[in-house]
Amino acid sequence: MNSQQLDHILKSHHREAYLWARQCCSFQDELAKDVLQQAYLKILEGKTTLKDESKSKTWLFSIIRYTAIDELRKAGKIIPLSTEYDPIQINEEVDSTDYEAIIQLLPEMQREVILMVFYHQMTIAQSAEILQIAVGTARTHYERGKKKLKELITQVQIQEDYGK
Amino acid sequence: MENNEQLEQFFDQMKKQDGHLKSPAFPLLKKRRVNLWIPIGIAASVILAFMLIKEPKAIHDRPGEVVIITLHTDENGDQHFTIEQTTHLDTWESPTTSLLTQY
Repeated sequence: MNSQQLDHILKSHHREAYLWARQCCSFQDELAKDVLQQAYLKILEGKTTLKDESKSKTWLFSIIRYTAIDELRKAGKIIPLSTEYDPIQINEEVDSTDYEAIIQLLPEMQREVILMVFYHQMTIAQSAEILQIAVGTARTHYERGKKKLKELITQVQIQEDYGK
Repeated sequence: MENNEQLEQFFDQMKKQDGHLKSPAFPLLKKRRVNLWIPIGIAASVILAFMLIKEPKAIHDRPGEVVIITLHTDENGDQHFTIEQTTHLDTWESPTTSLLTQY
């Protein structure tokens, strides 16, 4: 693949890549921009190559995700959690329109699968590929994530109604 | 059929909110420009090296005139020297050749 084709692929996914970088960086905008730059640099330096053009989006998302993990680890912002981790109690200040704060309450893997499926219109199989886990495991994260997010949304709405 | 209406609504709203975010400028791809300079640099170095390395000059200086001194013995047994001046030598005899025959 020549640099022009690569340039075209990166440009066509640029907006989504930026939003995904934000989601991987706990919605920290500046960090997300740095991560995106570093991910592009890795690609342009040939540290990672795209073999199947039809998988360009999953390939790019995977690079961004691992770059973000590295950056968060360097900054000491990674807290390892078990998959069975339950969301913390909702702070009363969380607004029902504060979508980022609500989604942040989900465990990491569940949050990522849910974002990929609902926000980025990917399949569970594609999510599994990005997370480098089995499709069955990704499906479990998806089901649990969905259930927890529904609970969280309902909880926030109830809190808001009580507050009025 | 899954009932994901609540979640779909949630993410639709989230996307609307994200619509206000400004994407960072797409970085310019400078890699190609940098790469182009490498072969140019190598070619320039090779050309420069060829220009600087001097070709060894062939020695064209001919010796000046050669003086040939020949010793002749005439019929009376007297010896005479003949001195000739020329720019080249057709034959050359080692000064010690006589030792091989006359010793």
